[in-house]
Amino acid sequence: MRARSSGRALSTATRFPRLGALAAAVWLFALPAASEGLDVSVRDAKGRPVKDAVVYAAAKGGVAPPPTGAAAVIDQVDKEFVPRVTAVRAGTAVSFPNRDRIRHHVYSFSKAKTFEIPLYKGMPPRPVLFDKPGVVALGCNIHDWMSAHVFVAETPFFAVTGPDGKAKIDGLDPGEYDVEVWYPRMKDAPRSTRRSISVKRDKGPETSFVIQQAPAWRAWRAPAASGGGYR
Amino acid sequence: MAGLARPGGVRRRVQVIGAPARIRSLLRFRSFQSRLLVFFLGLFVLVQASVFLSVNAANVRNARQQIDEALDVTASVFERVFRERTHRLLGSARLLASDFAFKKAYATRDHGTILSALENFQGRIGADAVMLAALDRVLIADTQHPQRTGTSFPFPDLISAAEESERGEAEAVVFIESRAYQMVVVPLLAPMPEALLCVGFLIDDRLTAELQGVTSSHVSLLRKTGDGKWDLFASTLPGGPRQRLPSDIRGTGDGAVSVGGGEEYLSRVVVPPGGGRGAEVIAVLQRSLIEALRPHRRLQAALAVLFGVSAAVTLAGGIAIGRTVTRPVLALARRARKIEEGDYSEQESVERADEIGHLNKSFNHMVKGLAERDRVRDLLGKVVSAPIAEELLSKTIELGGEEREVTILFSDLRDFTALCEGRSPKDILSLLNTYLTRISAVIDGNGGIVDKFVGDAVMALYGAPLRHADDGERAVRTALGMMMALEGLNAEFLEQGLPRLGMGIGINTAVVVAGNMGSLTRMNYTVIGDGVNLASRLEGLCKKYGVSIVVSETTRALAPGFAYMELDRVRVKGKSEPVTIYEPLGEGNRVGPHVLGEIEAYGEALGLYRSMQWERAGARFAELKREFPERFLYHVYLDRAAEFVRNPPGGDWDGSYTFSEK
Repeated sequence: MRARSSGRALSTATRFPRLGALAAAVWLFALPAASEGLDVSVRDAKGRPVKDAVVYAAAKGGVAPPPTGAAAVIDQVDKEFVPRVTAVRAGTAVSFPNRDRIRHHVYSFSKAKTFEIPLYKGMPPRPVLFDKPGVVALGCNIHDWMSAHVFVAETPFFAVTGPDGKAKIDGLDPGEYDVEVWYPRMKDAPRSTRRSISVKRDKGPETSFVIQQAPAWRAWRAPAASGGGYR
Repeated sequence: MAGLARPGGVRRRVQVIGAPARIRSLLRFRSFQSRLLVFFLGLFVLVQASVFLSVNAANVRNARQQIDEALDVTASVFERVFRERTHRLLGSARLLASDFAFKKAYATRDHGTILSALENFQGRIGADAVMLAALDRVLIADTQHPQRTGTSFPFPDLISAAEESERGEAEAVVFIESRAYQMVVVPLLAPMPEALLCVGFLIDDRLTAELQGVTSSHVSLLRKTGDGKWDLFASTLPGGPRQRLPSDIRGTGDGAVSVGGGEEYLSRVVVPPGGGRGAEVIAVLQRSLIEALRPHRRLQAALAVLFGVSAAVTLAGGIAIGRTVTRPVLALARRARKIEEGDYSEQESVERADEIGHLNKSFNHMVKGLAERDRVRDLLGKVVSAPIAEELLSKTIELGGEEREVTILFSDLRDFTALCEGRSPKDILSLLNTYLTRISAVIDGNGGIVDKFVGDAVMALYGAPLRHADDGERAVRTALGMMMALEGLNAEFLEQGLPRLGMGIGINTAVVVAGNMGSLTRMNYTVIGDGVNLASRLEGLCKKYGVSIVVSETTRALAPGFAYMELDRVRVKGKSEPVTIYEPLGEGNRVGPHVLGEIEAYGEALGLYRSMQWERAGARFAELKREFPERFLYHVYLDRAAEFVRNPPGGDWDGSYTFSEK
C-alpha cells in the first residue's frame, strides 16, 4: 500500500483485466528514467496522520504531458462511496458501479464537473469524463450522507495518503517540482501549501505537510438496519 | 414670670402623674363580670389570633412553596417545550436544506431562482423569514429583504455557532427590525456544505399564549438592550404587570437575573435555548400569588366568620356565667345595704347547690339572727333607756354594780289625781303618755337616762351608765327644760279644756351604787343609795316651799352656771346631816337684775333668821312677801319666824329645819 493509486489501478486491472494490464504497461514502461519517488506525509495540526489527502507535484516550468485517457472507478458499497477520495488526471473517465441492491442517484454540482446519474442499479450506461482540473464533490440524492470527492489534477504526479498519512508520488524525473496538498476538509487553499522539492535520481526526497482541518459537517446517516436487506 | 410659670409646671406634673393613673383606672375593672368577660374575651382573642396568624403564615408559606415548586416544574417544561419547538423548526429547515430540487436551484447560481425557491419554502413550512448565507457570511438571499443580497449576513454569531457545532446547525433568538424571531441555521449540503439556510419564526404573544397553555404560567420574553435595560417583546401578562415587568428585573449580570417587584407574582427567570450565552434574551415565568392564595382567602373569610360567631358566643356565655355569679352577689349586696338601713323585710331564697347557694343560705341565716337581735335591741330600747340597752347588750349581763357619782332627778306631777277624776283610764293613759313622751324627750336631749317611770313619776340618771363631765349641769338644765315643756303642754291642755298640771323636781348628786339589780333571771339596771332617797325627798319638798325644782348643795356645786335661790337647810327623814337646798332660777347670765336684788334682800333676811333674830327676820320676810307676793317661800319663813318668836328653838339650833314626815 505504498501507493494507493497504483493499488487502485491494480484492483481495477483485476476487475477489468485487459484495460488494467494495458494501463499498467504504459505506466511502468514509459518512464524508465524515473526516480525512486517522492515520499510525502500529511499530518493535521495535532500531529495526527491525515488520510485521504491528495498530494500532487508539478514540474517547475515543465509542461504537463497530454491526458492519457485513463479510467477510474468509484463504487457505491453499503450506501457509501468507495473510495471517498479519488485523484485522477484530467481527462479520466470515471465509472460509478452500484454494488448495492438499491438504487443510487449520483450527482455533483461542482464547477469542475456538474453531472447527474439518476436512479440506477448496477453499472451506469457510460462513465463520466472528468476533463477539467478541479475538485468535484459527489453526493447521492437519496442518501444525504453519501459523499465523495474526485480530485481532477492537471499533473500526472499525484498520490492519496493512506491511514498513516503517507503517500508516495512515483514517476518523477529528477528535477524541481512544486508540491501541493489538497484535502476535502482543508481550511486553506491548496496553493498556500505549495512548496518546492528537488527530486534527485538516487534517493527520493521526503517532505511533510501540516494542514489545518475545517469542521466537517456530514448529513445524518440512516441506521443500517433500514437498508440492510438491500445491499 | 416665675410665678406664672409655676402653676403650668405643676399642672404638667399632674398630667404626667394623671395619665398612668387614668390608664390604671381603665384597666381596673370595677365589676367582677367585666373582669370575667375581659379575661375570657382576651384569652379567646389571643388564642384565635395566634391560631389565625400561624395558619395564615403557614398558608402563605405553603402557597409560596407550592408556586416555587410549580415554577421549577414550569421552568423545565418551558425549556423542553421551547427546545422541542426549536427541534421542530430545525427539522423543517433540514428538510428544506436537503431538498434536491433546491440544491439544483442553488447550483444554477441564479439569484432570482434561489430567492423564489426560498419563498416557496417559506410558504411550505409557514416560516416568517428565510435567508441563505454563503459560508463566507455573505447574504445570498433574504425573503424579507430581497435587495440585501451581497451584503454581509446580519447574524454572524449564528454562523459562528453553526460552524462550531457538529452538524453545522445553530439556533438563536434574533431581532429583525425589533421583532423577535426564533432562527435556526442548517447547512446546505450538496453534499458538502455550500451555504447556510436560516429559517426564522416570529416570536410574539401567540407563542407566549401557547406556552402559557402548556405551562399554566405567565410567560414573558425580554431582550437586553444596549444600555442594560430590558425590553419586553412577547408576554401573556395583562397591561399593568406587563408594563412594570421590565423595570422589575434586577441584576443584569450573567445568569444572575431575578425579578423583583410586587407580591402579585412569583417569578422564575429562564434563558431559553438560543437566548445567548450572556442571557441576552430571557423568559420570565410567573405565577400569581393572589391566585394561589385564593383558596386560603376563602378559608380566611370562613375563619373570620367563625371568629366573629365564637367571639359572640364567648361573650354571651361569659355574660351568662358572670350573671349567675354577679346577680345573686349584687342582690345580696343590695339586701346588705337595706339591712344596714334596718330593713330586714326582703327575703330571697335562692335554691342553688353551688357556692352562691351556700352563701345565700348563710346570708339568710345571718339576716334572721340580725333581725332577731335588732328586734331585741329595739324592744330593750323601749323598755329601758337606749344607753342602758346599749350597755346591757355590749357587756355580759351580771348582777352587781359599781360605786359612782350620779346625779339623780326625780319628777312628779301635782294634781294628777284630780285630773284623773271622771276620766276613763284610756284617756288618762293617753294623757300620761303624752306627758311622759315630752318629758323623756327633754331628758334624752340633755343626755340623761330615764331609769324608770312610776306612774306619773320619773326617775332619771346623769353619770350612769354613761358619764359626762357636766352631769350636774345637764340635770339642772333638764329640770328647767322640763318646766318649759310642761308650760307648752299646759298651753295645749288649755285649748283642750284640760286642767293645768303642776310638777315637782328634785335633784341630788351623790356617790351611789349603779348596776344590775334583781334576781338572776330578772334584773334592772338602776342606782341605789342614800343619795337616791334624798333626791326623792327633795322632790317631795317642792310643795313645802312652793317651788318646782329643788336642788341639793352637791348638785349646785357641780352646776355653778345657774342662778339659785337658797331655800333652806333641811334635815330630811332618815338623815342626820342637814342639807342646803336651792331653787334654780335659770341660766346664770339670763337672770335679770331685779331677781338678783331680790336674792340679795332675801339673803339678808335669811341671815337674820339664821342668827335667830326672829323678829327682825320676820319683818324683813314680811317686806319681801309684800314685795313678791307670788313667792310662797317668804310666807313659809314669815310663819316660821313667828313660830320661833313664840316658841324659840334650843341653843343648839343650827339654822336647819327638820322634816319628820316623808
